Amino acid sequence: MDRRTFVKQSIGTAVFAGSYFSLGSFTSLLASPASPYDLVAIKGGEPGAMFDKGIEAMGGMSAFVKKGQKVVIKPNIGWDTPVDRAANTNPQLVARIIQHCLNAGAKEVYVLDHTCNEWQKCYLNSGIETAAKNAGAKVAPANSENYYHEVSIPKGKNLKKAKEHELILSADVFIDVPVLKNHGGSKITGAMKNLMGSVWDREEWHRNDLHQCIADFATYRKPTLNVMDAYNVMKQNGPRGVSVSDVVLMKAQLISTDIVAIDAAGTKLWGMNPDDIRHICIAADAGLGRKDLDKLHIKRITV
Amino acid sequence: MTLTRLRALRTLVALFFFLPITFFFLDLGSNVPGSVNDAFLYLQIIPALLKFFAGVGVMIFGIVFIALLTLLFGRVYCSTICPLGILQDVVNRIAKTISKKRHKRNYFAYAKPKYAIHYSILAATITLFAFHSTMLLNLLEPFSNYGRVIHNLFRPILHALNNAGAAATERFHVYFLYTIPFKEVAVGAVIVPLLFLGLVVYLSYTRGRLFCNLLCPAGALLGLISRYTIFKIKVNEQTCTDCGLCEKVCKAQCIESTSKQIDHAACIGCFNCFNACPAVGLMFDRHYAKIDSLRTLSGAEASDLTGRFGSRAQSRDAQRPVDSSSATTSRRSFLTMAAIGTTLPAVLKVDSLTVPSTAYMDSRKHPVTPPGSLSIAHFTQYCTACHLCVTSCPAQVLIPSWFDYGIGGIFQPKMNYQSSFCNYDCVKCTEVCPTGALLSLLPEAKRLVQMGKVQFVREDCIVATKKTDCGACSEHCPTKAVHMVPEGNLSIPEVNNDICVGCGACEHACPVKPRKAIFVNANPVHLTAKKPEVKKLENPLGNGQDFPF
Repeated sequence: MDRRTFVKQSIGTAVFAGSYFSLGSFTSLLASPASPYDLVAIKGGEPGAMFDKGIEAMGGMSAFVKKGQKVVIKPNIGWDTPVDRAANTNPQLVARIIQHCLNAGAKEVYVLDHTCNEWQKCYLNSGIETAAKNAGAKVAPANSENYYHEVSIPKGKNLKKAKEHELILSADVFIDVPVLKNHGGSKITGAMKNLMGSVWDREEWHRNDLHQCIADFATYRKPTLNVMDAYNVMKQNGPRGVSVSDVVLMKAQLISTDIVAIDAAGTKLWGMNPDDIRHICIAADAGLGRKDLDKLHIKRITV
Repeated sequence: MTLTRLRALRTLVALFFFLPITFFFLDLGSNVPGSVNDAFLYLQIIPALLKFFAGVGVMIFGIVFIALLTLLFGRVYCSTICPLGILQDVVNRIAKTISKKRHKRNYFAYAKPKYAIHYSILAATITLFAFHSTMLLNLLEPFSNYGRVIHNLFRPILHALNNAGAAATERFHVYFLYTIPFKEVAVGAVIVPLLFLGLVVYLSYTRGRLFCNLLCPAGALLGLISRYTIFKIKVNEQTCTDCGLCEKVCKAQCIESTSKQIDHAACIGCFNCFNACPAVGLMFDRHYAKIDSLRTLSGAEASDLTGRFGSRAQSRDAQRPVDSSSATTSRRSFLTMAAIGTTLPAVLKVDSLTVPSTAYMDSRKHPVTPPGSLSIAHFTQYCTACHLCVTSCPAQVLIPSWFDYGIGGIFQPKMNYQSSFCNYDCVKCTEVCPTGALLSLLPEAKRLVQMGKVQFVREDCIVATKKTDCGACSEHCPTKAVHMVPEGNLSIPEVNNDICVGCGACEHACPVKPRKAIFVNANPVHLTAKKPEVKKLENPLGNGQDFPF
């Protein structure tokens, strides 16, 4: 990023931050469930245990899932690679989120992703299918266009419409569960990038300025909750990775209702600056969330 | 066991092979493990022979078994193991049921064997094969034709039914069935099997097993052995009442009831005659036994097959084979036609590599052949286009070709990166191939097979033309042969062909239209890729801070 864009973006952020505080009560109405923290960051434990602590700090899953509601969990299951390659979300984390949802009274919990490799192999070899089914969720296919229905994205700049999976369209609660990785195209893949796996046509995003489209789609629907898996983190050759030597054991996890804040924190955790990630900047500028981490109310938990 | 039970046994054995093989070609979800395919397919005689020639020695057991079986009992292979033969029996059965309503019964009659045509076809097939063309084998080989019929005609029906069922159940969020998107359809691979099926149905409806005794190279090959069969079906002249019923039920049209002669080169061992003959006139008999002992055998004795099998060492010289005259004729015609056959390739000028492929990526000359195929030459020499690999591929990247391999390579599969790409860790096609066109690979070996090399066209790339990030190609690359390098604020693909395996993930993922900015050029001879370099991370423990924010 050159100095000029940096200055521009900083001003943009400052203006946004200013308006955010001046509109304080209004934005809190927009934020779906009231949560004591903007972001909860957990470090040092196993994925399931970290989530237990984290969601407790967020006010428990019952703050997000009401009795009888339909929940859709969208992990990253993009690749036919084993668990230790960390190209997909950690299955233990997915399982624990499902359990919390069911305990909070969810009527049904679905898990799905529009995969890059063959979906059955991805679902199976990522460990997520087994873990999710054992935890009591239904694992739904997302491999065919007929599951997707066109939605318009009024606030989108380049991406005006997309085809969204019907289960997400009909869900009361939508939980975005990305795994933190580096990415050849979008530099980092986190919560916003993970939503790319909930639409049918991804090529269109690549053709029409990937970063802009990622941010555009984030304006369509704010996930009820974002949980970022940073237990094993891919540091190179992302997003698919080549071997386990691309991965470091970070034992971290982030939880937030703010999709921009969680991506900004994830970027920091990975070792990059959120200001260098264009889709984070665009989303922050558009008021989708905040990347000014030092001004956020963050709960830090070490397990 | 009495002889009349043989037909029931034949039906049972036939179903034992027919049903699993049919399922292999219908399998929508790539569910059948390669080892199961192998267990049922290693007895398919022409695929087994091809696999033997392709250098896979274990197949020799299947060949020896079929040869011995034929030598002992005749062409029972055609009635039990060959799926196309059983398909004709099924057609016949249905035809019989239909015509029962009209004519009471559907009858066949003895037909003079057309050895000249049949053996010229065999000779031409062998000759073309010797000249590295599987064209005739492709068009006539029964197993492959059966596979093509099921894969290209019936599987799409099952596919459509599955999707209709899925559409109905998915409304209620039940995902037991799921929609399977239709990939590209190879029109030629639908039309030709349709014509073939029409021909086979017509022939079997009107003339029983005429296909097997006129066109089938496996039938011709086994017929060469079966004329010397040890246990032969014979008419017991003492008990025969000249009713002619045996002739009427003979699908192979090989019983001439007036002269009481049976053509054993054409007999497919269906045993229908045993059940038809009211006076136990037919005997399953040993050809090399003395004529006197034959004549005195009773029906019960004749049925004691196992006993006879044990006492085989009797004089061999007594009885002149009933079909010896026709055998001599056919042998002569076989040799003549073999000579004629050698001139065929020169006329056809079979050149598998001169036909250019896809129009838009003009630098491409050859189709990419599947892993394990070694080279276009090896692949086109041994593939009979049964399409089992096309059915089994979990990624559905394989598609029947049309003339990509030349006219001789019609229907042989190729990689189609338009609709999918090859899974880096998958070896399914190499496991299921029954002919040795694809040699079995372990995943470790397959990851180093370079089917092609990647070519990047910078001036078409989105990063260069639109000045925006993309990276779809590199994202999908399993080895990072395609990786992103910084260019200003953006990153652009860079190619390292040493570690490229030619899987087509980059080509498939490239969003540029209509001409992809990155694609795979086939290696006409597969090469070995280098292992992707394992880069050690500079800071494997991350940034050290607990929370860097």
